[in-house]
Amino acid sequence: MRRLAHINTLMTCAALVCGVMAHAGPNSDYRPPVKEFEEYKPEPLPPGFSVQLTDVDGPVFADPRGLTLYTWPLETLRNGEAGEHPDQPTCDNTRYTENTGYMTPYPKGLVLPDLPIRATCADVWRPVTADAGAKPVGKFSVVTRKDGTKQWAYERYALYTSSLDTKAGQVNGGTRRERRYDAPVLRRPIGPASNVPPAFDVKPHATGRLIVTGDSHSVYTWDGDEPNKSNCRAQCSDEWTAVIAGELVVAKGDWGIIERSPGVKQWTFRGKPLYTRVLDRRLRSLEGSDVQGWHNVYTQKNPEPPAGFTVQSARIGQVLADSAGRTLYVYNCGEDTVDQLACDHPTTTQAYRLAVCGNFDAERCNKTWPYVPAPENAVSGNLIWGTAWIDPKSGKLAEAKAAGAVHVWTFRDRPVYTFAQDTKPGDAYGDAWGEFWGNRNGFKAFWLRDDFTSAGRAGGNAD
Amino acid sequence: MKTILWSVRLGLALAVGTVQATAAAASSEETHDHPVQLGLEQGRIAYVITARNWAVYHRTPDAKGECPRGFNDGPREQFSQLFPNDGTKRTLLETQLMREGRQWFPSPEPEPFKFKELAGKVSYGLNLDGQVKDNDFVSPQGEAGIDNQLYRAIGCIAAYREHDGTSKSSRNETLRRYNYNRFIIEISDVDSLIDDDRVTVKSYRGLDPLMTDASGEAFLPGGTQEIDERWGGFARATWTGRIVQGVLHTEPADLTLPAAGSFGTTDNYSLKAYRFRLALTPEHAEGVMAGYVDVEEFIHHVNMTATSLQSYGQLSSPSLYRALRRFADGYPDPTSGEMTAISSALEVEFVRVYLVEPSTPAKQSSRVSRAH
Repeated sequence: MRRLAHINTLMTCAALVCGVMAHAGPNSDYRPPVKEFEEYKPEPLPPGFSVQLTDVDGPVFADPRGLTLYTWPLETLRNGEAGEHPDQPTCDNTRYTENTGYMTPYPKGLVLPDLPIRATCADVWRPVTADAGAKPVGKFSVVTRKDGTKQWAYERYALYTSSLDTKAGQVNGGTRRERRYDAPVLRRPIGPASNVPPAFDVKPHATGRLIVTGDSHSVYTWDGDEPNKSNCRAQCSDEWTAVIAGELVVAKGDWGIIERSPGVKQWTFRGKPLYTRVLDRRLRSLEGSDVQGWHNVYTQKNPEPPAGFTVQSARIGQVLADSAGRTLYVYNCGEDTVDQLACDHPTTTQAYRLAVCGNFDAERCNKTWPYVPAPENAVSGNLIWGTAWIDPKSGKLAEAKAAGAVHVWTFRDRPVYTFAQDTKPGDAYGDAWGEFWGNRNGFKAFWLRDDFTSAGRAGGNAD
Repeated sequence: MKTILWSVRLGLALAVGTVQATAAAASSEETHDHPVQLGLEQGRIAYVITARNWAVYHRTPDAKGECPRGFNDGPREQFSQLFPNDGTKRTLLETQLMREGRQWFPSPEPEPFKFKELAGKVSYGLNLDGQVKDNDFVSPQGEAGIDNQLYRAIGCIAAYREHDGTSKSSRNETLRRYNYNRFIIEISDVDSLIDDDRVTVKSYRGLDPLMTDASGEAFLPGGTQEIDERWGGFARATWTGRIVQGVLHTEPADLTLPAAGSFGTTDNYSLKAYRFRLALTPEHAEGVMAGYVDVEEFIHHVNMTATSLQSYGQLSSPSLYRALRRFADGYPDPTSGEMTAISSALEVEFVRVYLVEPSTPAKQSSRVSRAH
C-alpha cells in the first residue's frame, strides 16, 4: 500500500516535484482521494523532512514522522498581540491559569475553566527540535529556545507539530484559510510555494485551492475550447478576457502558453486556456461558473464530503448540509490566553461550548445544536472528514459503543452540528452564533460559496 | 447581456412639468435644480434602500427630555456592577461565560439592573392597529395612536441614538458596504407619482453596489441593480397601496428584510404586517416602514453584533430582551397569550434605480459534486 502510494505520487509530481523529493526523500503515506494535486516549487529541506500531500491545505512540510509542520506568527487582537516573533519561540510548558483580557469587553485575570485538564502550549504544540549541530537549510534555520535547546524554524518562525495530528497528511491543528475576524491567532501549516507563475496566485477556499490572478480575480476555463486551443472569439471575448501571457514567460509544469493570435500569447492550465470574467462583481468570485460551460480553476479540489451530504442554496450562496438538507455548522473556540490554545476539540474543556450552545445545560445544548450522526461503519475515504464517538453529556470523546455514546461525523477531527431552529433546507439561522460572530466561541455555517460578504476581504465566509 | 427592463424616456409617461410638480409636493428640497429628469415607463419605478434605522425621535439634543434618568448601562458597566474590581478572584465560568450564556439563551427573569425606558410621548411610526391607546405615542405632526413600542425599549440606549449611536452608524455602514443589503422596492401600475388610487409594490434583493458621488458618501439616483433571483428570493413580498399627495401608503404585508451586520455576518429581519409611508420623487423615496418585529428574532439579530460591539453603544442584550418582552404588543402566542412581537418603525431612505435581468441562468444543484 505504501509503495503504491509512493509510485502514484511520483507519477503526479512531474519533474519539479521529483526535484524536491530528491532533496527531501519522499514520504507518501497519504494520497488525498482527488484527481489532481497542486504542483509546488522545490525547496531544500532538513534531513528527514518531506513534503506531504493533504486534503484541503495543499502540499505541506512534514517532520521525519510525516507530521505537518506549523508556525505561529504574531498577529493583533483587540487588546493586544499573540503569537511569536521571528527567532523567538515562546510556546513552552508554562501553565497559564488566567485570561489575558485581549477580547473586549471582558477584563483580564479571570480564572480559566477546567484548569486540571488544561494543557500547556508545549503539550499541544510540540517543538520540532534540532540536533545541536544542525545547520540551516534553505529557508529552514535553527533557533534557540529559552531552555537552550535547538528548534527548527522556517522563514525564522519556530516550527511545531500538533498533538491532534497522528498521521501523515493530517492538518488538524490549523488551516491555511484566511483568519476570520477576532478568531484566535491561529497556527499555520506551512508548505512549499505553489508552482504558479508570478501573474497568478492560489487562494484557500471552502471547495479547493482556487487559482486567481495576481490581483485576486478568478480565472476560468471553457468547455468550448480544445486542448491548448482557444475558441473564445467575438461575442465570447466580450464577456471573457483571455489571460494574456507576457512576451518573455515560459511554460512550466501545469502551466502552458498558446499563441492566441499572431504575437498574442495566452496562459493555459493543464492544457486549458484561461480567462477572467468581465462581469464578476467581486474578487475570488465563483459567479462565472454559473454560466454554462465555464468553470473556476483549482490546483486541487477538496475531497467530497461523506456520501449523502447535500449542498443547499442559502441566503449568501451555498452551504453544506446533511442528507435532510439541514445546514452543517462547525464550532470554533480559542482561549483568551497568551498561548491562544484551541477549545474546540472534544479533548479540551467543553465549558465554552456549553455556555453558548445551551447556557450550561448539556441536554438543551444537544437539542439546540445536535451532533450529526454517522453510521457505525461510516468511512469518509479521506483524512479531513471522519467520525468519532462522543459522550453527549460531557461533549468529550467516548469509548466506541459506550453506553449513551453517539457516533458522529467530524471535520478536521471536530464534530459538526446542525441547528434546531433551521426549519428548511437553506436555512442558516445559527450562523455566527456565539462570541465574536462565531469565530472565537461559537458556530459558523459550513459555507461553500459566499457571493456577498467576502468581496475580496480576508475572512469571508468561504475564504 | 444585461437587458434594461425599462428605460428613461423623458416626458413619455409623465410630462416633465408633472415630474417636477411631484418632486415639489414630496420634498421641497428635491430636484428643482437637478439636471437629470427621471420619469416613468410602463408605470413602473424602482428604488434601492440607502439608509435604514430603527426610528428614534430625538426631541432634545442631550435626550434629557426623553431619557431624564439618562441612558442604560451596557455589558461593560453591568459586568462591573456584578463583579466589582475588589480583589476577588473570579472564574471565567461564573463571569464572562455566564453573561454570554444568558445572552444567547435570554430569559425574562429579572436581573439587578434598572432598565431606563423612554419617557417621552412623541414618536415616529404609524398607527398600526387603528386604535388610540394609553401607551400609544403621538407623531411629531400630532397624529395620535402611533404604535412604536420598540422605541420605548431602545429609546434610551446609546447605540440607537442619533449622531454617536454605534448601532446606527454601524448598520448604515454595513448596509452600504455589503451587497447583501440591497433591498429594492418596485412600484408598478403607477399613473402619477402625485396621486394614484391603486399601485402595486414588490420587493426584491439586488446584487450590485450603490452608486455614489465622488466622495463615496452621497448616493445617486439612476444606477442599475440586478435582481437576485438565485439567493435572494426570501426578500420578495407584495403590497397594494395608493399614492396621496406624493406619499406612498401601502397595506401591510410580511417581509423578510436583508440585514447583514458587522464583520461578515448576514441575517434578516422577519417583519410582520409591515407597511410603507414614503414620500416619493422621481429620484428618491423617504419615510417610514412600520409594523411588528418578532422579539426573539430581534434579539438574535442584536446578539449577532457581538458583545464587544454592543459594549461600545452600552447595549445590554439581556436587559433589552426583558424590555422587549414587557413592551411587546402584537402577535399573541396562541397558547400562553403572551405577545411575541413588538410594534416598530424604520426610518428609511431610497434612491431611484433601474432593474436589470439576471446576467446568468442560475445553476441549482443538491449534489455535492456540483458545488462550485
